[in-house]
Amino acid sequence: MVLLLLSLPASAAISPEALVRSLAQPVPARTAFIEVRFMNVLDRPLILRGELAWLGGSHLQRTVVSPYRERSEINSGQITVTRSGQAPRHFSLDRAPQLRDLLISFTALLAGRPTQLLQRFEARVWGNPTSWTLNLRPRDAKVARQIQALNIDGDGTALRCMRVDDTDGDTSFTLLGVLGHARLPKPLTPAALVRLCAAAP
Amino acid sequence: MNSRWWVLGAWLLVLALLGIAVVTHLRISTDLRAFMPPARTAQQRLLLNEIGQGPGSRLLMLSIRGAAVTRLAELSQQLATVMRADSRFTRVLNGENTLVSIAPSLLPYRYLLSPALDHQRLDASYLHAQLQQRLEDLGSPAAGLLKPLLPSDPTLQTLQLAERWKPVAAPRLQHGVWFAHGRALLLVETRAGGFDIAAQRRTMAAVRAHFAALPDVGKARLELAGTGPIAVAVDARTRHESDIIGLVDMLGFLALLLLAYRSFASIGLIALPILSAALAGLAALELGFSSVHGITLAFGFTLLGIAQEYPIRVLSQRRAGEDPLPSVRALWPTLRIAIASAAIAFLAFFASSVPGLQQLAVFTITGLLVAGLCTRYLLPPLLPRHFHDAVDTPGLASLARWLRGLPRPRWLPWLLLLAGGLTVGLAPGPFWQNNLAALTPAPQGLLQRDARLRAALGAPDVRYLLVLQAPTAQAVLSLSEHIAPLVRALEHQGAVRSVSLPSRYLPSVATQRARQARLPDRSQLQAALQQAERGLPFRAGLFQPFVQAVERARQLPPMTPAMFEKTPFGPLLSSILVQRGTVWYGLATLSGLRDTHAFEGLRQASHGAVRLLDLKAASESLVAAYRTRILQALLVATLLLGMVVAVGLRSLRGAVQVLTPMLLATFLVLAVLRGAGVALNLFHLVALMLAAGLGLHYALFFHRDPEDPRDRLRTLHATLMCVLTALLVFGMLAWSSLPVLRAIGVSVGLGVLFHFCLSLLLARPHTESTEQKP
Repeated sequence: MVLLLLSLPASAAISPEALVRSLAQPVPARTAFIEVRFMNVLDRPLILRGELAWLGGSHLQRTVVSPYRERSEINSGQITVTRSGQAPRHFSLDRAPQLRDLLISFTALLAGRPTQLLQRFEARVWGNPTSWTLNLRPRDAKVARQIQALNIDGDGTALRCMRVDDTDGDTSFTLLGVLGHARLPKPLTPAALVRLCAAAP
Repeated sequence: MNSRWWVLGAWLLVLALLGIAVVTHLRISTDLRAFMPPARTAQQRLLLNEIGQGPGSRLLMLSIRGAAVTRLAELSQQLATVMRADSRFTRVLNGENTLVSIAPSLLPYRYLLSPALDHQRLDASYLHAQLQQRLEDLGSPAAGLLKPLLPSDPTLQTLQLAERWKPVAAPRLQHGVWFAHGRALLLVETRAGGFDIAAQRRTMAAVRAHFAALPDVGKARLELAGTGPIAVAVDARTRHESDIIGLVDMLGFLALLLLAYRSFASIGLIALPILSAALAGLAALELGFSSVHGITLAFGFTLLGIAQEYPIRVLSQRRAGEDPLPSVRALWPTLRIAIASAAIAFLAFFASSVPGLQQLAVFTITGLLVAGLCTRYLLPPLLPRHFHDAVDTPGLASLARWLRGLPRPRWLPWLLLLAGGLTVGLAPGPFWQNNLAALTPAPQGLLQRDARLRAALGAPDVRYLLVLQAPTAQAVLSLSEHIAPLVRALEHQGAVRSVSLPSRYLPSVATQRARQARLPDRSQLQAALQQAERGLPFRAGLFQPFVQAVERARQLPPMTPAMFEKTPFGPLLSSILVQRGTVWYGLATLSGLRDTHAFEGLRQASHGAVRLLDLKAASESLVAAYRTRILQALLVATLLLGMVVAVGLRSLRGAVQVLTPMLLATFLVLAVLRGAGVALNLFHLVALMLAAGLGLHYALFFHRDPEDPRDRLRTLHATLMCVLTALLVFGMLAWSSLPVLRAIGVSVGLGVLFHFCLSLLLARPHTESTEQKP
């Protein structure tokens, strides 16, 4: 046990900077995703499936295909949500700093650029280069009031899972890459998803 | 010798005291309305109020550039935050959606203010569809924004209200604020009216100070546009140019006097009567009126140019080796007629009921009388003993001989009259220029910036307003609701991009009551909600705050304009729902107006209660009315002048001889201006009045024609000095780039020349019979 504890830092001697740099994806990067949201206002989790695309810079595209169709464009500090048969709706990210920082962190990971990420979040890494967890805690007090932590699981240079814990107890899981088409555990609980995310393929 | 210094000291002391009193007490208004004829009807009152005060003219458009987009967005937010805390601004918009955070006092009223439920009952099927949407919202990236609203407002009435109140043609959002052409844009409504130049200048300085005080402004630059900045820029340019011309004038004037009289002391002394006239005139205004308009003062100071001649006459008429007093006494009867006739003529202006003209009369009459009395009683004892007699001016005698020898055909006046009449009758183009703004054109760059920002921000037009008239505020709001569908049709047709009606912000009490009546009661809503939630995963009891909010909305007293005024959105309404006298007006602003005729149908449908007001046309008609008053006053003034001159000269024939050249010369100036295609404005009229006042002097003094040939030479010298100084001072103005200064310069310059020539040829008595060939 003592040995293990001593050896952990050595084996996990991955710096957050180096890890983030190694994650850089070519533009455009696309992946299927499954999003599971556990929310206080809901009796059962929301499950969404679709495709996530990074088009470079801070430009993200999120297409939901199930259980309904919806497309969100995130660019220039603004989110535009379009649903079939409805006029597009715009939301400003400056009104929602928590969301802004979330998206900044996500695009920083895809771009492999640690500077901006580490400015806004306190980062720690667990695990080893083949299976790691990046833990991010917001530095900004306003953001910290909304978001407790982000946990990103990955293997090698690929993202596998992103978990966002809100301070009000809501939790959302986004399964990406190899997990983008995964079978969801039954019963569907946060704990079961944590296990799914942690398990290296 | 000693008493001389006493008089001078006392005079200067009185002037200093007057100066202090005037500077500390006189209120100079830059508000255009102080200059206009008084309003007689409610509609004119409204118009006078809206010129320079209307909602469109109080908009400032700001743009920030010169930094990265994210930085510009931050600056826009920071600037908006400090300006919202400043009471000089009634509204600061930059694209940020501030409704949810700043208007808790309005939130309970959301079901009464928003039309969202007018065609939709708050029933189970509607609620179910809404809840389904909210579920999808919770799955969208914007979930965090909507989560706090969900329990009390699942149908998002607050957002719909915010959507309804935001500017219709708002620019694109980037980083949460408005951007166009790489610049962050803000739209600001000032408390100060657009043409209240002094207040606008202070307000603009406040905006710049707020911007400069932001942290890390760096290379970012703030630009302002709107009616206020244009008015301020024009004012500054006019001031600058007239200051420069004034300085050159002053130097030239002094040089000319020095050349003619060769005495510094004399020149210093002749400034005193004019200075006394100006200060006395201002003091009289201060006693008689609460505030004086800047334009009235500009006219008044122009007309005081008449008094500039009095001391010049005294200096030129002094005889060598004689005390100044006898020569002043010899001069006085003629000078007295000149002063009295001008002062009495200006009484006609006092009789007009236009405050601006009354002020002009008070200022000018006081000034002329004081300048005349100072010249007669205070100046002579102060003049230096030793001086240069004007008679000895080289060349004067031969010039006089040549002038005397000029032929004076009797048919000359008739020929000139005919030529002038033909020119005036046949000249092309409009006779009058009614557009006051054309006199002081704004810098082109500023106008372009204004147009660019106005288009980008969808800011309302300053020229047009849609006026809704009704006996009460509620009736205006009902009328506004009533015509809303017609207005929407006009927007749809493309006649106008958008119209902002008062009922957009506040529905009438009747409509609010109707909306209350449509809301379900608690048990109905509970039942509908229960049914709507079936099959959806929302937690039981989540929407209790919503049920309470609807219940509260059913029982609220409807919101009135007075209540709305106290909310943070009050200024939105207070500028477009106004009371004038006993009548209430809704002043709907328009943006992107393309077809004014399309609004005729609206006027007919409302039986005239709704009409499109063209502020430019209306203000031009006011200018025309003002001019009519001036012309009427001028006619009376001319008759008064003729009577005074006839009485003063004790000769009707003499009066005709004196007045003929004056009237003919004035007519000729008019003919030349018209022949050159110039449209006449108010400043031309004032300039013609000044020239006529000077011309009267030339004619009176030529008419006097003293026995002593040396006195005749002195009279000629005096008149020549008067002509030259007037030509110098006003000729300079003719080169100005500003039409207003040019109008004065050209008219007075031409006038002085014509008056001099015609007086010389026509005013001398018995030209043929008494002429003695030298």
